[in-house]
Amino acid sequence: MDERLEKALEFSNFMVTFNNQKRVLKEKYSQDLIYYYVGAQFTVTKELINFCYTLLSSDNTEAIILDDNDLPIQISNLQEFHTNILDIYFTASNEYFNKYVALKKHRSVQGLVEINV
Amino acid sequence: MSKGVLVIARNNKNIDYVKQAIFLAKNVSKYLNLPTSIITDNANYVTEHFDPTVFDKIISIEYDDAMNSRSFYDGGLASKSDNFKNSSRSVVYDLTPYDETLLLDSDFVINNDMFLKCFESNQDLLLYKDSCELSNTRNTKEFTYISDTGCEFYWATCVFFRKSSVNKIYFNLIKHIQDEWNHYRRLYQIQSNLFRNDFAFSIAIHIMNGFSKGNFFGEMPGKLIYITDQDILWEKQDDKMTFLVAKKDYLGEYYAISTKGTSVHVMNKFSLGRIIDEELLNEG
Repeated sequence: MDERLEKALEFSNFMVTFNNQKRVLKEKYSQDLIYYYVGAQFTVTKELINFCYTLLSSDNTEAIILDDNDLPIQISNLQEFHTNILDIYFTASNEYFNKYVALKKHRSVQGLVEINV
Repeated sequence: MSKGVLVIARNNKNIDYVKQAIFLAKNVSKYLNLPTSIITDNANYVTEHFDPTVFDKIISIEYDDAMNSRSFYDGGLASKSDNFKNSSRSVVYDLTPYDETLLLDSDFVINNDMFLKCFESNQDLLLYKDSCELSNTRNTKEFTYISDTGCEFYWATCVFFRKSSVNKIYFNLIKHIQDEWNHYRRLYQIQSNLFRNDFAFSIAIHIMNGFSKGNFFGEMPGKLIYITDQDILWEKQDDKMTFLVAKKDYLGEYYAISTKGTSVHVMNKFSLGRIIDEELLNEG
């Protein structure tokens, strides 16, 4: 095989593994962003965080927000809700970041798979 | 309100579902701290060959050898045809000893406490709609709709339900669909005549929602992550698992992929069996 092609295919194989591992991390991140409040499921997003912040900034203490099932949920303590989703966002994002940084350091397929993240 | 996990294990000639259920029950205890009950057609096998105390309750059902044959793959190059004994899922509502039940397939490998969130939900019925195939190379259309012209696909692999009058109607409807499977598979234009619980659960949701989309049920937290039986579970150390996932269009060639702290539905029951054997051996 032409050496140029061989090198390219080797790198291609590495990239497939890298992208697969990154996808697994992203799925884990998505799971970590799920928050249950009074039995309703919310996926913490930047939009949700900002919307709550906007409501709090205009002196609202409670609000109706749609959950992941598009059902209206009464948030009776908006400040507590906002604090909790912010905490979840930071915890999940930091974990994702740290794992991604660790993943990026590896330059071999074996290293990518054996890494403990 | 009593809470617990329920698993069905009915062995065929090639696959030891009871062994998988034992493994599942241990993981449930470790990560969810919940009791597990088993529904099986061979309770003697459970008590004579394994430690039955891993189960909260052993629920016996009648042995039934009605043929529902399918191929079980072990990676891309090997497969065996055997009886797929999947006809008991519709009776779980009647048989569960719990008020709040998490019904799991025996080939589900739990590595985190995500399922505990189900018990916090205000919805009485939760199923997975969204899923993630680890190889990311296959066409997953079959897990979006039950057929080209049918309704949306929902997984019966993991189902959370509470005892309620509406859920009783739902599970009775599933029994009816199962009894009249040939009618419903034609109605929903499913080409295979193999009975599949995913299809029966999906059709029942479609009917309960007024033959439309609706809020009859809620979605399980996260996505259902799975490998097919053409992929291989290669290694498991604590909550870290290494898989070989099949390369698209290269039969018998694989990419390696690993997960940590992620629960995975391992459809390759042979490779799961090998991993369980290793773990049981290590336990002594």
